[in-house]
Amino acid sequence: MALFSKFRKNKKGKTVEMILDHDGKNWTVSNDSITLAAPSLDSLDRKVERALEEELKQGQSINVFMSFNNEVIPMWIRPYMNHYFNRILELPLQYQS
Amino acid sequence: MAKTQRSWYSGMATTEDWWSVWMGLAFFVLGLLTLSGIDLVGWVSYPKIWVASLPDGAIVKKIVTMDKAFYALGGKYSLTSKAFYKALGPIGSILVTYVVFTIATSIGAYFQKWNVKRFLAGWTIIFFLTYLVWFIGHNAFFAASAVDLKKSHFPVDTFTLSLGGGASFILALIVGLVIGNFFKPLARYLSEAAKPEWYIKTAIVFLGVKVGYLPIKAVLTGAKLGAHGAEIGQQMAHLTFELFTAGAAATIVAYLIFWPGVYTISRLIFKLPRKTAAVLGSAISICGVSAAVATGGAVRARPVVSIMVSALVVVYAVIELVVLPGFFTHVWPGTSDPIVAGSAMGMAVKTDGADAAAGELLDEFMRAKVEKDTDGKVVWMPGVITTSAVMTKIWIDMFIGLWAFILALFWVYKIEKHEGDRVPLSEVWFRFPKFVLGYFAAWWIYLAIFFGPGQSGTTPDGLAILKNAKVGAVAVEKGMRKLFFMLTFMSLGIITDFRKLAEAQFGKMVWVYFISLFLFIIPVAIIIAYLFHHGMQIPNMAGVVIN
Repeated sequence: MALFSKFRKNKKGKTVEMILDHDGKNWTVSNDSITLAAPSLDSLDRKVERALEEELKQGQSINVFMSFNNEVIPMWIRPYMNHYFNRILELPLQYQS
Repeated sequence: MAKTQRSWYSGMATTEDWWSVWMGLAFFVLGLLTLSGIDLVGWVSYPKIWVASLPDGAIVKKIVTMDKAFYALGGKYSLTSKAFYKALGPIGSILVTYVVFTIATSIGAYFQKWNVKRFLAGWTIIFFLTYLVWFIGHNAFFAASAVDLKKSHFPVDTFTLSLGGGASFILALIVGLVIGNFFKPLARYLSEAAKPEWYIKTAIVFLGVKVGYLPIKAVLTGAKLGAHGAEIGQQMAHLTFELFTAGAAATIVAYLIFWPGVYTISRLIFKLPRKTAAVLGSAISICGVSAAVATGGAVRARPVVSIMVSALVVVYAVIELVVLPGFFTHVWPGTSDPIVAGSAMGMAVKTDGADAAAGELLDEFMRAKVEKDTDGKVVWMPGVITTSAVMTKIWIDMFIGLWAFILALFWVYKIEKHEGDRVPLSEVWFRFPKFVLGYFAAWWIYLAIFFGPGQSGTTPDGLAILKNAKVGAVAVEKGMRKLFFMLTFMSLGIITDFRKLAEAQFGKMVWVYFISLFLFIIPVAIIIAYLFHHGMQIPNMAGVVIN
C-alpha cells in the first residue's frame, strides 16, 4: 500500500511550477526565475533542492510540479501520443541511507 | 513556448485525438437528424464496381458502366431527399464531399495550429488522388466478386481478382508508398495533410456508428424474411456484445503475456538496457507508438529512446498491414474462423491506423473469399471482421494510461528509487485515447435507438424509426468511414519511408522487433484469439442478399 500512497497529493507546503525538458543531453527544469540542467533526474532534483534551499530552511515543504514540455516529442509522433510525463518532486528530499 | 498537459481539458481544442472525436461526432449528429426526417448527409460520394462497357447479356445492378462509378449515397438511401442527391451525379457528389470535408478538416487544422494553406493544398491533392485510386480499385477486374458477377448476369467464365473493396485499399497504400519512398519532395509537401492517425481515429468514431447500426441493418435486411428478421437483428446485437466482452481477453494478453515476453527477450537474449527493453516491450506488445511514448515517460527514459522505437513501430506496422490480411485469409486461421482472424489482427498490429486498415482489408478479403468458395451461398455482412479487429485493439488502447501509471510507480519507487518523486494520478487521463469516447458514444446511441424507440424492429412503428436511422447511419458508417479508411491508407503510405530502417541506428532493436513479432506475438495472438473467439459466427445473409 505504501507504493500507492506515493501518488497522493501532499497538501502541506507550497507548490512551485516548472517546465521539465530534455535537450538531447541533459534534463532541464525552468520557470521565470531559474533554469537548471543535469544529465540525470536524480542530480537535477538535487540541484532543484539546492536552488530552493532558502525556502526549505524556513521549515517549509515544497511540491515542485514539473510538467513536461511535450514539444520535445516530434510532430509526427504527437498524433499517437502527445504527452510524455509530468511529475511532482516533494522537497526536502528524503535521502535513503 | 512549451506545450504541456496540466489540466484535464488540455488539448481538447488542439490535438488530433480530440479532433477525431469532434469531427466524428459532428457528422454522427448530422446523421442522427434523419430520425426527424432531415437528411444532411446524403451527399457523400461512394464508388460502385464498374466496367468500361457491359458484356452481352449483362445488366446494370451490382456492376455499372464507368460513367456511373460514383453516386451520392442519399440518391439511393434517402427517404426525404432522394431526387436531390441523385441529381448531384458522380462529379457533383465528389465535389460536395470535397467541399464539406475540406471545411471540416481545415477547421481542425486551424485549431491544431497547422499551416492551413499548406494543409489545404496537401489535402486537396490527397483527396482527389484518393478518389482516383478508389475509382481504379473498383474496376470489376479487381473488385467484382462471384456474387456481383452473378447479380449483374456476367458470363460465368468472367475472371476477376475478387478483392472487393480491398483492391482500392491496397492500391491507395501502394500509391502512398511510391510517393513516400520515390517522390520525397512531394511527400514532404503533402505531409501537412498526410495524417493517418487523425483520419483513422475519425474513421473509428464512424465505425462506432457501424457497430451500433449492425443490428439495425440485420433487422431491416432480415425483415424481408418476415419474423426471422428481428431474430437476425438480435443475433447481430449479441454478436457485437460478445466481441466487446471477448475483446477484453486481448488486454490481459497484451499486458501480462506479450509485455513480459518481449521484455525478457530484449533483456536476456539481446542484452538491452532496462529502459530500452521496457519501451520496446510496450511498443511491440501493447499499442505501438503511443505505448512507446507512454512507457518512455513512465520509466523516465530519455525521449530519444521512445522516438527511435516509434520510428520502428511505424515501419513494422506497415509491413504487417501488407502481409497479415492475406496470410490470415489464405493460410491461417482462414475463413473458417473469421472472428478469430479479426481479433488476432487487433492483438498483432500495433498502431490504430494499421490495425483498423488491416482489419478492413481482412474483412474485404475474407468476405470475397467465402463468397467465391461457396459460390455465393455464404455472404457475410461487411464490417463485422473489421469490428472484431478494432474492438480488440480499443481494449488494449484503453489501458495504456493505467499501465504506464503502474509502471511509473514501480519504476520510480522500486527500481530506480527516486527520492521525493511522486507520480500524479492525472497521468492516466492524459494518456487515455480520447477517440475511444467518440467510438463508444456513437455505438451506444445507435444501440439505444435499436433497443429503445426502434423496439428491436419487432413492431411496425419501431421498424419505421429504424428505417429513418438507417439513412443517416449508412452515410456515416459506409460513405464517410470508407473514405477516411482510404485517406488513411494513402497517408500511411506517404509518411512511410522504408529507408529509415536502414539509415537509423536501430541496431539490435530491429531484430528484437522481428523475432518478437513473428515468432511470439503473432502466433500467440492467433492461439489466444482462437481460445476466446472460436465458434463466434457471422450471420449468413445469403438468403436475403442473393435470392
